[in-house]
Amino acid sequence: MRWTSLVGTIYVKELVDILRDHRTLIAMIVVPIVLYPMLMLGSVQAVSYQKEAMREEEIIVGVLNDEQGQSLNRLIHADAAALKRESNDEQLSQHQSPERERWESRTMRDSSISRGAARDKMFAPGTLIDRDSAPQPINKIRILVLGSEERIDAAVRERSIHVGVILDRDELVDQPDIQNKIQFHSDKEDVRSSNAERRLRDVIQRTADRTDARRKSERGLPQTFDEPFAVETVDLSAPPSILGQVLPLILILMTITGAIYPAIDLTAGERERNTLESLMVCPVPVIHLIVGKFLVVTTVAIMGAALNLGSVTATVYFGGFNKIISTTGGSLPLGKMALILICLIPFAVLMSAIMIAVCSYARTFKEAQNYVTPVILAVLIPGGIAAMPATRLDGVMLVMPVGNMVLLARDLLLGAVVHGWQVVIVLLSTTLYAVAAVAIAANIFGRESVVFADVESFRGHFARTMFRPAPRPSLSMSVLYASLLFPLWFFIQAALSPAGGEDAKALLYATSKLMPILFVAIPAFIAWYWKVDLRGAFALRLPESKFVIAGLFLGLSAWIPAHEINLIQQHIIGVPESLERNAQLLVDTFQHMPLGMLVLVIAIIPAICEELLFRGFLLSGLFGNRRAWSAILASAAIFGVFHFFLFKFVVTAGLGVVLAYLCWRSRSIIPGMIAHCLHNTIGALSAVRPEWFTQLRLIPAQNPSSNAESAHLPAFTIAIGIIVFLSAIALSSLVAPLGRKQIAGGVSPRNA
Amino acid sequence: MIVAENLVKSFPLPDGGEKRAVDGLGFRVGKGQIYGLLGPNGAGKTTSLRILSGLMTSTSGRATLAGFDVSRQPDEVKRVLGFLTANTGLYQRLSATELLRYFASLHGLDKREAAARADELIQRMGISGFAKLRCGAMSTGQKQRVNIARALIADPPVLIMDEPTLGLDVLSNRVILDFIRLQRDEGKSIVLSTHYLDEAETLCDQIGLLHEGRLIAEGDIAYLRNLAGEERLSSIFLKLIHADLGAAA
Repeated sequence: MRWTSLVGTIYVKELVDILRDHRTLIAMIVVPIVLYPMLMLGSVQAVSYQKEAMREEEIIVGVLNDEQGQSLNRLIHADAAALKRESNDEQLSQHQSPERERWESRTMRDSSISRGAARDKMFAPGTLIDRDSAPQPINKIRILVLGSEERIDAAVRERSIHVGVILDRDELVDQPDIQNKIQFHSDKEDVRSSNAERRLRDVIQRTADRTDARRKSERGLPQTFDEPFAVETVDLSAPPSILGQVLPLILILMTITGAIYPAIDLTAGERERNTLESLMVCPVPVIHLIVGKFLVVTTVAIMGAALNLGSVTATVYFGGFNKIISTTGGSLPLGKMALILICLIPFAVLMSAIMIAVCSYARTFKEAQNYVTPVILAVLIPGGIAAMPATRLDGVMLVMPVGNMVLLARDLLLGAVVHGWQVVIVLLSTTLYAVAAVAIAANIFGRESVVFADVESFRGHFARTMFRPAPRPSLSMSVLYASLLFPLWFFIQAALSPAGGEDAKALLYATSKLMPILFVAIPAFIAWYWKVDLRGAFALRLPESKFVIAGLFLGLSAWIPAHEINLIQQHIIGVPESLERNAQLLVDTFQHMPLGMLVLVIAIIPAICEELLFRGFLLSGLFGNRRAWSAILASAAIFGVFHFFLFKFVVTAGLGVVLAYLCWRSRSIIPGMIAHCLHNTIGALSAVRPEWFTQLRLIPAQNPSSNAESAHLPAFTIAIGIIVFLSAIALSSLVAPLGRKQIAGGVSPRNA
Repeated sequence: MIVAENLVKSFPLPDGGEKRAVDGLGFRVGKGQIYGLLGPNGAGKTTSLRILSGLMTSTSGRATLAGFDVSRQPDEVKRVLGFLTANTGLYQRLSATELLRYFASLHGLDKREAAARADELIQRMGISGFAKLRCGAMSTGQKQRVNIARALIADPPVLIMDEPTLGLDVLSNRVILDFIRLQRDEGKSIVLSTHYLDEAETLCDQIGLLHEGRLIAEGDIAYLRNLAGEERLSSIFLKLIHADLGAAA
């Protein structure tokens, strides 16, 4: 049975099984459809009710003496009377001129907003009348005479009064040369206290505005008399959209919530219900079981999140919340919902993979829930960092798990500029993390220490004495290592990349020192610890001489098709400026290095280390039960991705295919090393000693107006190159076919 | 054909030492034979059966089912194996028909074959009356019948059964024992473990007595009677174990 059909069978069964569970249906459908609208409407109505109640609530004010109390009382009553008068005047003028009415009401609302009076607004969902935009008088006030500032402060702290008001003189004076000083004593932590202070301040501000206007008009002065400047700022930043900033985080929570239950049910649930044994004795590779289950969890997570999103959207639209969002400068256009759903898919994939991996380790529901909680917290940290407005989608954040997706979603939603390469790096790294998580799950799921509670538990995972010798690394072991190495290698390259003005020497030296450790020593240690045959894992065999010749031919000729492919690619999609800068920086650096050192750092060390990792540890792990070509293509794709520059992907992955093919045919790592080393040496020499190549007429003589990199090679060179290149391939292929023998351990690639 | 050669299974202990749950176990079961593994609790019966079925790896030793090496050819071994334990669970939210068709598909049968095979086993195991019922709603006996049908879904030549009749009523017990005999008559190689000595006495062609991971006696019932000088299997069982304990002391 083909693996797709097998995974399909598992997928359909698991989906039917999980959807028949009432708990899934409740978590997935009932909660979003009922709970979100209820929570949103309920909370807004509760806030509205509270605000309404506070607006009508009596203010209790403490003053020093009776006179000050009366002054304050007069001020409040005068304001109430003035407001009533202004309101009547306004109604009259509106009645007289409907055009003017619209204009004035708009002006008034705008001006009130600009003064900050509309900071606290109250909306009744559905009707959404902005009641706060109209000034409100204080109708209920109780003034207590407390005698001293200390008693006022004590009363505020005890919350027996809302606010204390101390005037600098008992009577308020209306004279241009005298300023009345008013001190408020309030407790900002107490919402009633700050509300009382705000309402009193509004009264004083309105009175001051009226007095100011009256004095100017009495003296015939224009209203702009004491306002020589009117400063206005046009804010070009993206509005602080609730959509862009809050939704990505809600998205994370929705997706996690959707993934948790099915992930536990399909992994730890199998163990708890004792169905795992019967599954594990079926002739189905564990990776197929895990992929089937992972796809179900992803589907349920996406369905759940889509329902959540739909419910939030419906509540916002039909509950009238979109107007609230628009007043904060944000928007929730329906068109962006599609974008959110697209962002949701990689999220769901990653979350489901993580949840499957974590839950695979658990034997019971309870145990799985204990594992899941810290994972959720760990996921929310990068998500939270990314949700901060100052965080940008560059540098380390590009490959930060979860964080990069939140940032990408935020930037897309806010309409910020997002480059294609950013999207590709985010999606690629997310995919790799998901692959790593699925690989971990496949490695753990069905292990005897997880299947059988009576086995001396998890020590068996790591006790070397418990491992049986294996001819090659497992798929999960090699893919997991490559997936973890990818972000690490990216961090290292990013951290060591030369600052402006520096050359790339430090980067080259550091990577050439780290490569033997990360690409060789650690995989070798892993292989040794898990009792993997090192010869099999790294294809450490002496090759037949034909393959050595094939390696030599390949190394001498591969640069020619590579150069031409690069030119074709440049012609189609152009060269990114950053790549050109990097290439130039490398050439400048090469020119200041001793030739021997250059060859060591650029050719010998990478050839040995990269071959041992990609064509050794990774390729032998990828073979497993798969067809040789799928393993070769997968190893080449990962080799291409590890070179980070997407522009180089076609050439590096192509080279990866050829090198992996050579390794598979020869069952030895050595011909590939020879080819790789020669290829890199030629690349470095063509940069520092182009004259050697022009003398041999392999490349055209350099024209000062164009550089050699952008010129086609002479037809003679191309012809020779292609002949030698194809001879190398033919030599590898024509040698007595190895058929099903594989590179590692002498076991069939299809069947270990 | 089932062959176990010098199987050893060690588990790490918290103090850094090792516990040998199976210690040099070896036996052979031919076609059309039932081999009974008997022993007290903790003797290593379940561990041995798990190793034979590929669910556990042995620390050393070798086992083959129908000629396929358990540790080197796990996929082939799973294709020739039907495995059943008393504790094996069923998917609660699937019906017997759905469950059997699912397992048939996992064994590589196409949709039509899977449906035909499931229907055949439903008839033979007397499941028809509750074939559409979800497994969660079935009685213990009904579940075990479905479980046996599941183990036989690919018509495997080898059956490994760990306490297949544990906790069943007399009626269900009879159905299942008759079915096991029928499988033997059809030429299958069967290993089973049981606590019911009467059952072993009437059912098994060969009996292996396991104690502390070691096989302390093996043979047909006549040979064991002769060896222990006792008539009933329960008496033979006790005598041989006491003798082993005495030898160890």
